[in-house]
Amino acid sequence: MLKLREVVAAYGPIIALHGVSLEVPEGSVVAVLGANGAGKSTALRAISGLLRPKSGSIEFEGQRIDRRSAEEIVSMGMSHIPEGRQLFSDMTVLENLRLGAYSRFTGLARSIGEFRRRGQDFEAALKQVFEYFPILAERRSQIAGTLSGGEQQMLAIARGLMGNPRLLLLDEPSMGLAPIVTREIFEIIHAINRTQGVTILLVEQNANLALEIAHYGYVLETGRIALADTSENLRKSEAVQRSYLGQ
Amino acid sequence: MDEFLQQMVTGLATGSVYGLLALAIVLIYRSTTVLNFAQGELAMLTTFIGWSIWEWGGHYWLMFPLVLLIAAGLGAFIERVIIRPVEGAPTLNIIIVTLGLFAIFNNVATWRWGGIPKGFPAPPEIQVTGVKFFGEGALDIGPTVVSYHDLTIIVFAVGIMAALYLFFQYTPVGLAMRATAQNPIASRLMGIRVGRMLTVGWSLSAAVGAVAGILIAHLILLQPPMMMGVLLYAFAAAVLGGLDSPVGAIVGGLIIGVSENLVGTYTPQEWLGPDMKLTVTLLIIVVVLLIRPTGIFGKRALRRV
Repeated sequence: MLKLREVVAAYGPIIALHGVSLEVPEGSVVAVLGANGAGKSTALRAISGLLRPKSGSIEFEGQRIDRRSAEEIVSMGMSHIPEGRQLFSDMTVLENLRLGAYSRFTGLARSIGEFRRRGQDFEAALKQVFEYFPILAERRSQIAGTLSGGEQQMLAIARGLMGNPRLLLLDEPSMGLAPIVTREIFEIIHAINRTQGVTILLVEQNANLALEIAHYGYVLETGRIALADTSENLRKSEAVQRSYLGQ
Repeated sequence: MDEFLQQMVTGLATGSVYGLLALAIVLIYRSTTVLNFAQGELAMLTTFIGWSIWEWGGHYWLMFPLVLLIAAGLGAFIERVIIRPVEGAPTLNIIIVTLGLFAIFNNVATWRWGGIPKGFPAPPEIQVTGVKFFGEGALDIGPTVVSYHDLTIIVFAVGIMAALYLFFQYTPVGLAMRATAQNPIASRLMGIRVGRMLTVGWSLSAAVGAVAGILIAHLILLQPPMMMGVLLYAFAAAVLGGLDSPVGAIVGGLIIGVSENLVGTYTPQEWLGPDMKLTVTLLIIVVVLLIRPTGIFGKRALRRV
């Protein structure tokens, strides 16, 4: 579904990705592990179009996307849930979710029928998201910035799902959360993959948790792929255990 | 008491004009953090265009929407062609660019229309089932008399405020514009074309400013320096209300308009009087900002420069 070939990306003169190749098969959960500054977030930014790669190619469902803008890429069916959640923190939960669905309904509705269908699609998406995150239904009128950390992460994921993506890029969903909340969120991520068949590319520092739900894993080290294998093998690998699993 | 009411209403009318121009400033500031010093001159220029349309025989109610459209187009053009290239440059650069626009608009107006003050029409009278709207003269409302034009100004300010509120709160484009103002990167990830939203913001702002220009021109005569004083009050109004709050802009404008008028009327000549009304008004603002540095409705802390 997603293929990166020799992607080089940089912030100004500082090269953050030195030719990264990776593949995400349809329906799978793929984890990208690595230390702080290894280039994990940069990889996601390059994929979603926030950062234009210097060279290499990125293919999404058979189409080149490495020269497309972030706005275009969202509407192709990919949601990027960025590091630090990046909610619209002065807006309500519901407004955040509306914005999540923005890419599906651009342009004016051309007929009353279409207008009505959009409303129905939105309500259906909302209902589904509230099934994963019932707490958000309760808090729908609350200002996003006043939610707890765990609820904010849930809203960030929910907002990403409102766009009805086939591929979800998730950046550090466990960041700053208590272990019990993290576990809850990972269970929901797992469920999103299993029940809806959404493909997930997950960037995570918590390698233990990530490898629990992932089928495949890549280990990034200073902008290069150091290891790539099935989660099972990675968990058994001595190098991964030593560096990332803390055993 | 009658005199007091009279001064209040007059203050509300001029305050509405300050508020409208302040609103134009806020619309741009909150999405781009650009303080557009050319806002007043742009309004003046579009008002001159309106005057020409009227001179050529265009009816007032044809001229009015036409000027709004032209202003919106100019606003979009300025954002795309002049502001976009300096986007992301240091704040001072952008301020210099808007000051440059200030000078250009002023020169163009003087060159094309000359410096002699021109009378500008008021909206013509409209009769709806015997009730008079707009036009000349004054309305007797018991204890005081209100000129129709003052009423027109207040109604326009309130109407525009309400329309913008509905637009920002209930339409997808309005929601997307608010999102862009809050978090441009997250907005891009939602599929919002951030650049386009900024262009729409400049268009709206220029149109709102044009309304302020058209309404005040009837009161103070149309001439190139017409908006300079208004711009000063509008900046004060925007800061007082909170630079990121559209409601604050209008409320700030009204407070300044009314207090300016009351100070001018009720303080004795030897002590303060009309000559000192600007000073007193600005003093009020300083005091408010000492107590609430973000302005009355503002959320974001203003950056210290």
